[in-house]
Amino acid sequence: MGSRQFMAILRKDLIRELRTREMLVSMFLFVMLALVIFHYAFGVDEDTDLTSFTGGMLWVTFIFSALLGLNRSFAQEKDEQCLDGLLLCPVDRVTIFFAKMTGNLVFLLIIQAVSVPVFTLFFIERSYLADIGLFILVLLLADLGICTIGTLLATISMNTRARDLLLPIVFLPLIVPVLIAATSATTGIFADGADLGDLAARLGFLAAFDAVFMVAAYGTYDFAIGE
Amino acid sequence: MKKLTSAPALFAAAGAFLVTGLLLAFLYAPVDASSMGFSQKIFYYHAPIAETALVAFGIAFVAAILYLRDPDPKWDRLSYVSVRLGLLFSVMVMITGMIWGKAAWDAWWAWEPRLTTFLIVCFLYTAYFVLRQVVEEESRRATYAAVFAIVAFIDVPITFFATRYMPEGLHPVVIRAGDSGMEGSMFLSFMISMAGMTLLLAALVRADVAAARLKDEIDDLKTRIGG
Amino acid sequence: MSIEEGAKFVAAAYAVILAVVIAYYALSARRVSALQRDVELLKAEVEKREAAGSGD
Repeated sequence: MGSRQFMAILRKDLIRELRTREMLVSMFLFVMLALVIFHYAFGVDEDTDLTSFTGGMLWVTFIFSALLGLNRSFAQEKDEQCLDGLLLCPVDRVTIFFAKMTGNLVFLLIIQAVSVPVFTLFFIERSYLADIGLFILVLLLADLGICTIGTLLATISMNTRARDLLLPIVFLPLIVPVLIAATSATTGIFADGADLGDLAARLGFLAAFDAVFMVAAYGTYDFAIGE
Repeated sequence: MKKLTSAPALFAAAGAFLVTGLLLAFLYAPVDASSMGFSQKIFYYHAPIAETALVAFGIAFVAAILYLRDPDPKWDRLSYVSVRLGLLFSVMVMITGMIWGKAAWDAWWAWEPRLTTFLIVCFLYTAYFVLRQVVEEESRRATYAAVFAIVAFIDVPITFFATRYMPEGLHPVVIRAGDSGMEGSMFLSFMISMAGMTLLLAALVRADVAAARLKDEIDDLKTRIGG
Repeated sequence: MSIEEGAKFVAAAYAVILAVVIAYYALSARRVSALQRDVELLKAEVEKREAAGSGD
């Protein structure tokens, strides 16, 4: 499948972003500002208990941040015509997909790694260190779903007139199941703690979602990326 | 055979089944014993419309796959028409569902699995039309639309599953929304209406595909004249 | 909820379905006849032009 090509494309995307850090900084700022807004949006009372909302707040923020990142990374490609150049090479289209998806995943994880501690500081009273492994698992599985669908759809929407306007419209309805599963799992962990048994259904669901859409992307990416 | 499956014939058959189903529903099937009472009668059209909408999206899904394998405009026309009709039926599901909700539980809206799923379905397939609108290159429009039709249809059962089995808390709350078993007379009325709705869909697809073909013919003729 | 009240909702629901289907059908029919008219006109125009072209 060309793992060397995969690594080459992935490395190019990572190096380019890590050099300028424009997108990462924007995504991070967005998350921070969103958290501040959430605090004021839900009322600043000492007694307000936002625990049952924490999962939702976190994932809404991450999903919109991911949209920012997806838009940006593909817009750059399009503007600098990297994609056209890439398509001229004898690279398997699917390899491009997995490389791009992994790149997006890495960026999202970086943002999350920095945001989650801040989020915990702002909103979580209980320590959930005991369940940290499960939490990371939820994060990974949900991120995978977001990046799979996101990369497929971003490839399509970048070639249209409305570009970054179209992506949220096509992406958000599709990602609702991930949002539902990730939110209820995360809120469970933050609120009362949860063990593998409680989360099994949601983790399994997220894993199934990822598997199904990876197969779908594998089958359709040739068409999405165009001639 | 052509005569039998022509649009007028299908409309006639659909009409016959639907009227029969309606008569059976009101004159033959008993009034529902549960608290819903008479309002349950809405179910005899509401549920078939819901299932027919899903059939329509399924047709679009298959047509999309066929288009990707063999880019014949007829598959794109079928896909496009089916999505549009599916959306039409979905809107009807929402409206009748809300009326039923008001009658049965005195609430215009409830975040119950079926209403919520169809709400998301409406957004999802509206996005399909937005996508078609903003793709500039004609050659790509059908391809991108096909990719989206495939991904969207896969998401429909997943979304239903998510809304049904993963509500807010980790411990499920069972929502009973008229799931009581059906006795014979109810079942017969339901099946006849179901057949009628499916025939109605077939008739509408037939008619709309023919209209779409006319439109394509016109565009072709216009280009020939325009030179 | 009494049968009369229930009946109002039921009637409303079925009325909506009927209205939507009829409206869609009417709009479709109108669109199709306009399209058919266009096709006839365009076909006549094409024949005229091709006759004029070959007659040169």
